Amino acid sequence: MDFISPEGLRLDGRRPLELRQLQAEIGVVEKADGSATFEMGNTKVIAVVYGPREVQSRSQQQHDQALVRCEYSMASFSTGDRRRRGKGDRRATELSLVIRQTMEAAILTNLLPRSQIDIFVQVLQADGGTRACCINAATLALADAGIPMRDIVASCAAGYLNSTPILDLNYLEDSGGGPDLTVALFPKLDKVSLLQMDSKIPLDVFEKVMNLASEGAKAVAQFIREKLMENTKQLVLAKGR
Amino acid sequence: MEANDTVQTGPVSPLVLQIVAPGDIVLDLAKAGKVVRLGGGLRQDGDSVVVTRAGRLRHMQANNKYWVEGSQKRYVPNVEDGVIGVVVDRRFESYSLDIGAPTYAILPILAFEGATRRNAPNLQPGAAVYARVVKAHRDVQPELSCMDVSNKSSGFGSLKNGYVFECSTGLARSLLSKPMCPVLEALGKRFSYEIAVGLNGRVWVNAQEPSTIVAVSNGILASEFLTPAQQHIMVAKVIERMQ
Repeated sequence: MDFISPEGLRLDGRRPLELRQLQAEIGVVEKADGSATFEMGNTKVIAVVYGPREVQSRSQQQHDQALVRCEYSMASFSTGDRRRRGKGDRRATELSLVIRQTMEAAILTNLLPRSQIDIFVQVLQADGGTRACCINAATLALADAGIPMRDIVASCAAGYLNSTPILDLNYLEDSGGGPDLTVALFPKLDKVSLLQMDSKIPLDVFEKVMNLASEGAKAVAQFIREKLMENTKQLVLAKGR
Repeated sequence: MEANDTVQTGPVSPLVLQIVAPGDIVLDLAKAGKVVRLGGGLRQDGDSVVVTRAGRLRHMQANNKYWVEGSQKRYVPNVEDGVIGVVVDRRFESYSLDIGAPTYAILPILAFEGATRRNAPNLQPGAAVYARVVKAHRDVQPELSCMDVSNKSSGFGSLKNGYVFECSTGLARSLLSKPMCPVLEALGKRFSYEIAVGLNGRVWVNAQEPSTIVAVSNGILASEFLTPAQQHIMVAKVIERMQ
């Protein structure tokens, strides 16, 4: 199958090195301590953060750092075929773990000992790159909750189809059989926090794809930062003093 | 040694009063003078000061202190803050209170004015208490007291009747700011009510008429994103609707 037309356009009309349109909204859930939705093209994810709060079960309490928990789920209406997806299936368990580890690396857990932070992520629309989108939404929700973080985490996926590295795969490209590489990084510290890839690619190609994904993540980070600043400005400056 | 090392406080960060996001570097300690104090939302990483929380960077010239002022729903305890807590549990010598902080706070039974072992106030789970934070350290549970430094109650204590609602910590801080917050001033001209504002983002309102409590609570919650002039107009509308 041709993923890139002779004119150099992808199936959804993008160039190989182009991101999808990004959209984000902060503070979407009134009752939560922090919440955000994040959209990358047709992929839409909502993340909700509760905490830092008292640990629910005493046995899990850690005396020197916060307990971070994450729960990932997919809405049954999020994909083309309507299917009940629990939070217990293997994919969801793996993704919960990945998101938890990425966010735990960003949160300054040592500042909040004996407390618990819950992150709930739900995919509302799935069109490829849900992993990256979940991490971006979780970052915004954590920042909204005011949880101390080392840096913003931003994530983006990249792949390699028709001998071309392409950025931010959609569902069709994702299921095209090529490699799918997700990178999450701290843009200011310039450190990688997550790197995942399924299938194999040659080392020189890997480097290209990895660099492309990093560049994409940096662009996403810029967007997240702008959104966050905009929201904070509204919160802090609009107050009647 | 650079010239600015000779003065006590070096150059002020160019980002003061600007909005900052996690990861931003606001200050280079090598050039910042001898004594720099860091408040909430900042951390030291080697020679640089890095933001950990989104908000507005503030600076106090008197003691060269920097901190990030934001608006959150969760509260981080600070000594001498007045907070409103809800009793969750009663133990032998203390109450456990939920003050919206990472962990529950403790309020010793004897931390009330005139309390003795025989004669201590009896609070049930669910009771609201206005108290002062006396110990706040990340490694121990925060401790509260219902007495001021001279062991007088001075307004602290159990909040009977009335209504408690939650708001952002930013709104709570602006309600307590001086000169008096426009919305409270405008409401006070028309209604007589009692209010206790906890810096943890909880507000207690009490009045003779339930309708007054509802009007005051809604007025305060609606004022968060309004300018002083808009607050006066909003309160006028609330009063108009009451009649």
